[in-house]
Order: sequence, then C-alpha cells, then structure tokens
Amino acid sequence: MKKYFLLIIFFALLSCSEDHDSRQGDFEVFKSTYVPEKNVDFIIKGARILTGTGKEILDGFIWVSENKIKDIGETNDMPEGIRVISGEGKWVTPGIIDIHSHMGVYPSPSLKGNSDGNEATNPVTSHVWAEHSVWTQDPQMPLALKGGITTFHVLPGSANLFGGRGVTLKNVWSTTVQGMKFPGAPYTLKMACGENPKRVYGRRKGTEPSTRMGNVAGYRNAWIDAVNYSDKTNLKRDLKLDTLAGVLNGEILVQNHCYRAEEMAIMLDISKEFGYKVTAFHHAIEAYKVANLLSENDVCAAMWADWWGFKNEAFDMVWENVAIVDQANEGKGCAIVHSDSAIGIQRLNQEAAKAMAAGRRAGLDIPRSRAIQWITRNPAKALGILDRVGTIEKGKMADLVLWDSDPFSVYSKTERVFIDGIQRYFISDSLTPKSTDFELGIIQPDKNRL
Amino acid sequence: MILKIFINILLYLIISCSLQASEFLIKNAKIHTTSLGFIEGADLHIKEGKIINISKNIIVSGIDKIDAEGNFLTPGFLAPLTQIGLVEIELEPNTRDDSSKYYSSGLGISKAYNPSSSLIPYNLRGGITTSLSSPSFGKNLFSGLISAFSLTSSLEKSLIKRDIGLIARIGGGEDSRAANILMLEDSFLQAKKYILSGKLEEHFKPDKISFSTRDIKSISRVLYREIPLIVHANRASDILALIDLSKEFEINLIIAGAKEGWRVAESLMKAKVPVIIQPIDNLPSSFDEIAASLDNAAKLHEAGVKILISSHETHNAYLSRQGAGIAVSYGLPWHAAIDALSKNIAESFSLNSIGSIEIGKTADFIIWSEDPLEVTAFAERIFISGNEMPVMTRSLRLRDRYLKE
Repeated sequence: MKKYFLLIIFFALLSCSEDHDSRQGDFEVFKSTYVPEKNVDFIIKGARILTGTGKEILDGFIWVSENKIKDIGETNDMPEGIRVISGEGKWVTPGIIDIHSHMGVYPSPSLKGNSDGNEATNPVTSHVWAEHSVWTQDPQMPLALKGGITTFHVLPGSANLFGGRGVTLKNVWSTTVQGMKFPGAPYTLKMACGENPKRVYGRRKGTEPSTRMGNVAGYRNAWIDAVNYSDKTNLKRDLKLDTLAGVLNGEILVQNHCYRAEEMAIMLDISKEFGYKVTAFHHAIEAYKVANLLSENDVCAAMWADWWGFKNEAFDMVWENVAIVDQANEGKGCAIVHSDSAIGIQRLNQEAAKAMAAGRRAGLDIPRSRAIQWITRNPAKALGILDRVGTIEKGKMADLVLWDSDPFSVYSKTERVFIDGIQRYFISDSLTPKSTDFELGIIQPDKNRL
Repeated sequence: MILKIFINILLYLIISCSLQASEFLIKNAKIHTTSLGFIEGADLHIKEGKIINISKNIIVSGIDKIDAEGNFLTPGFLAPLTQIGLVEIELEPNTRDDSSKYYSSGLGISKAYNPSSSLIPYNLRGGITTSLSSPSFGKNLFSGLISAFSLTSSLEKSLIKRDIGLIARIGGGEDSRAANILMLEDSFLQAKKYILSGKLEEHFKPDKISFSTRDIKSISRVLYREIPLIVHANRASDILALIDLSKEFEINLIIAGAKEGWRVAESLMKAKVPVIIQPIDNLPSSFDEIAASLDNAAKLHEAGVKILISSHETHNAYLSRQGAGIAVSYGLPWHAAIDALSKNIAESFSLNSIGSIEIGKTADFIIWSEDPLEVTAFAERIFISGNEMPVMTRSLRLRDRYLKE
C-alpha cells in the first residue's frame, strides 16, 4: 500500500514537472530569428564619445568587430590598419533606446484596420502579447532610426489594468516580428494605474473598475489568482496566469503606467504583498514627489520632458521631473526619458536635453555624460538588456550613433546609425534607412515615399 | 546641493522682482529686427510701452538700464491657433470652451477666455506673449472665430483683438471631402444672398444646425475680406481645391496643417496663401498626409510662401520654438524661423502693433539665455507692452516645494 502511495507521489511529481515545463514552454514560441550579417571591422576615430557609463571621452575611438564593440579608448591608443570612419568634430553615443513605444501596434497611417494596441475588452488581458499586433512595415520605424533609435520596447496600450506583454525589438527592417525581436530580451508586462482603466470600463454599464479603488481591487484579485496558479501544478494552462506567474518568478518585468505619487506608492505596496517587483513606472508625472521612495525600492521612472494637461493626472507636471528623479537618494535615482509618441521617438536626445537644461537651471549638477544615460543605459537596465546594450563597452552589441554635433542641441542630426555594427542609416546614402513596404510607390508609383 | 538650490531660488526671487518703469533702456542685446536685420550689441529704448529707438550705444541719462549681456532678444512669440484660455484639462469637458453644439461659423470665443488659466503664465515663461486663441478643429466644417490675447493674466486687459479669423476644416472624415468643399461654396453663396437681401435661409445647415445670423455674418466678413478664412487641410489636392475656391470668391485664405504643402508650394506662393505649419510633425498619420516631411517648412519658405509656425499642442504652445529649430536643421534660415514665430503671424492677422522689434511697435520682447530655438534655452526676462512680466508658474511652485524637501 505504502509502495503505491509513493508511486502516486512520484507520478504526481513527474506530471508536476511536465506541467511546469509546458508553462515555461511559451518562452520558446515566437522566438527571435534576428541574426545580423557579419560586419567588416571599422573604427570610428576622433569623436567626442558619451559612453553611457557616465564617462565622456573627448578624442576617442571605437573599434567594431564581429558585430560587437571590440575596443574603446583615446585616439592615441588606437590600433592601425583598420578601416576608419572619421568622427572628428562629431559625437558618438550608444544607440538610443525608447522604453515606451507603440510603433507597429499604433502605426502610421492610423487606420481602423491597423490600430491594434489596446485589447480593451476586459480589464485583465495579461494573455495578449504586443508582438502579435506588430506591423513591421510601419513607416514610423525608419523615421525613429534616423533619430538614432536602435532598440525600442513596444507596449500594449493602457486601457486595461493588465494590458498584456510588451516586446523589445531591434529597429531593423524585417518582414516578421521574430526578425526584429531582441534576442533573449525578457518579456515585460504592461500594467496601468489611474484614469485610463477607470474611464474605459467605468463608462460601460456594470463593469469594474470605475474608480481608483476599483483598479486596486482588480490588481489584487488577479495576483491572488496568479499566486494560486503558481503554487498549484495540476491546473489547466492559462495564458492570462502564465504571464502573471512569469512576473512572480522574476522572468517578466513589470512596466507600470502610473502618473500620481499616491498610486505609485500603492503599487509598490501591492508588489510587496504578492512578492513581485515593479521594474519601472511609466509617464510618472508626479515621480518628483516620491523620488526617494522610487530610488529606495530600486524602481526606474520613465518620463516625458514636458507633456502635461491632457488629463487630470497629468496636471502637476514640472520640467525638472527627470532631473529630480535622477538626483534622488544621493544621485542613485534611475531616470528614463521615454516618448510614447512616434514624433517624440525621433528626437529623444532633444527631450533629454530639455530635461537636463531644466535640472541645471534648478541648480542640479547634471553633465551630458549623465543625461545621455536617460535614453541609453537606464532604459536598457529597465528592459533587462543592459548586459548587451545601453553603453559603449567592450563586448557589447555595436549599437552606435554618430551625431554631426552636440546631441543636446536642436540642430544636431544623426549622421550614421549602426545596429550590431551594421550601418542602417547614413545621411549621405539615400537608400537608407530602408523604406518600408508601405512607402514604395505610395505617392508616385516610380518613387518611394520620401 | 541643498545650498546650491537655495542660492538658485534666492537668485530667482531677486530676478523676479521685475522692472516696472515707463522709460528704460536695454543694453547690449543680439536683436533680430525686421528693418535693420540682425544687430549684435544693440540697445533698445522703451518709452510708455513702445519701442522708440533701436541702435548701438543709445545714451539716455536718468532712466533705468538693463544689461542684456550680449544675449538674444526677440519679439515675444505669437502662438497661432491654440486653445490657450479655453481649455485647462483636455479630458475634462467642464474645463473646455473650445467648441459648441449651437453655433457654427459664428462661435466667437473671446468671452470664454480665462485670463487666470494656468496655461497662460506657463506658456509666457516659454516665450509666448500673444495667443491667437481659437475654437478647435472638430468634426464640423466651421469651428468659429479666433481672437488674439496678450498673455498678461490680466482680467481686464488681455484681449488684443476680437474675431480676427474664421476657422474651418476639410479632409478625410465621415463625409466626402467633395461635400466639404461644396458646403464651403454654398456657405459663401448663402452669405452673398444674405448681404443682398438681409434674409436668412432657415434650412441651411452646413454643420447640422440651422445657421444663425451670427454664423452667416462671420462668413460675410470673410467675403468682405475683413478677416481671413483659415482652413485646416493637409492633402496636396485639397490645398489646390481651396486655392481655387479662394480665387473664385476673392477671399483671404490661410491653410493650416499643410503637411503636404511642399508639393504645391508654387501654387501657394502665386496665390499668396500663407500656411500655419507644425514642422515637428512629419508623420504620415493618415492618407491625407502621406507626403509629410521635416523639410516642408524649408521648401515652402524657399518657394516664397509665408510660413507661420505653431506647436502641435495647446498646453505646450511654446514648443513651436522646438519645431522652428528642427525646421532650421532641415534647411529653413534662422531668421525666417524667427519671423515664422512672430512677424508673419502678426501680419497675417493684421495685428499691426506687435510681432517685431521695430520703432513704434509695442514693446513685447524677450531676453533669452541663448539662441531661443535651442531646446535648452530659457526666457530670462519677458516684457509685454514695456512691462516686465513675472516668470512664476504653478509648475515652478510645485518644483520649488519638492526641491526644498
């Protein structure tokens, strides 16, 4: 009898591990197929380099080999015999990363047929994945490339408490979303506080939430289900709970749309109640009111330089928001400048410049080498890809932008943009950036859009 | 750091004790003037709210002098087509007065303007001294009439000029754009009849409401060329259709939007039709604007079209400066960009006393921390009618509260 009992336990354990595997199995679907072609070695020479690590090299070189940064240093230590791209009088930064984009899911032109960013049919849609909506031929993407964007993170919209999974993409032309997916980047979960969920569901008859307290009850109920799902092993697989369980075990990073100070503090308490981590608050108009709290909890805030007033929770905007978050807790704050806009994504450098200027004017000491981290290192950190991009360091992916002048100037333009060492944009090459399919013959049959 | 912030706030308070004198001199500024070109190290003599002299080394004894320390001095910028004073929070209908269900072309918004709106000091701090506040482009053909306001926050003295332009829109929407154009035509024909007979045809409903006398009178004013008609249109072929219409009825037309304007720049120039553009918006957001491009401003200017630059959002109307800077990086001459933020707007709406640094003009001007088209630039000192304006805003108050803590 005892023997049988042990056998049953054994099989239960076996089926348990199988079950567990099938839940983790979804990490293997829709796998990245992006592989850059091998680049010919080159060196960018003589540029002023903002490395993204907080340093600045006034007369530097960067050696790119096998799609990676092979070396970086002062020009007088430069190796010889390698093809040189002159960077004299120019600036180099890491590839720019936008942590909040809807390119591909809210493309241009905006049509009923391609507006795919918000599954606004239920407040909890953690089962939907932004990558399943992405239109890779969105003409916004090459425009962003011209602005130096090498990696962007596509999120579902903010209609729902749990909007679904976000995906991190390399800004490369591809006919498939798998061909753009950043290899090995962790998945993210979009959550939303405040006005949007309560507005979307509150105006429907009898649906929750219609208040902020309704929002909070909605998050907690979903996490209770997720904890239960994570603990038990014999439950039927559930896409909704797969995602939430992925958050609980630390594999999926929470990107939380949240404007108000009170709500950010509440969301942090919920994360502690259920044992997960908020990686970044997005929009975070009032982050400056709780900057130390965010830093103490190791949470980044992704913000605009100056958007405000479009809704009540965006009324208390200050130009110094980014700078105050950055300087919080003795300079340990994690500030990110994001776009949430296909206009803004084309010039995140200017948005960072505005935020830097506001901070300096308020008496905060913020050099360019620090401010550039708001659009390179810090978004990479919050996307879980800092070990591969976000700074110019030996061994990292060669995602680089060569600017014709100070990137913190309105007049500055990108001259060359490299992704994994491959030149995807060169100002003197009219065939770059590669036109999307949409742009072929769309105005005149024999020409591309622009 | 705390000390630094404290000193900064202290300095700020000192600076914000603004100058209030009827006669004074600005010394040593980089001034963009209309008639004298660009002058470095120039002085400006202000008396009773007017500019009475611009020159190097003006010497007048016994009056206050402000040292501009070689910084840029420009006219206070004008924001064409904003909802400043008409909206506080976009998604809160009770804070919005920029549209009406009961009036069409007759909706003059001047009485709804709120001089105490938080958007006013905020945009003033960004460098806007005049707002051409207007009803929003909605789904309707006509939205109503623009009025010009000085961003002084004065309850009594903000209005500069009432009902200075009529707003309409055409393009892709629920109804055919052909019907949009026909409806414009019919509106003009109705107004002509009204002018002759003094009678109103009750069944005429271009915006699904019966036209009132107020509505038809606005259109009559366009026909008399007392005010321009500003039509929002982006598609190149729509712009051409509007130019034809303006010729037929001999009206003053201004195109707003004009994202495909560069494709019909010659026609715009020949018809002397100015355009109000948002150079920062290069997205092919709809099939009306597939040819949107960052060099639109430069190409239009080069063809001889008068360009007026606006921001793409009311709350940050002052970001028209960033758009202008981007236009410059895509080929628009710097001086043309400054004119597009100031002089061209004043001229197009016959606001003759403002918009440029010239002898005899109202002393609305700004001293900048650096090139005003730079995103890092701040307005150091702001003057409206020769009075120095405080640069305090609600947003700054919030900042200071949390910086101190």
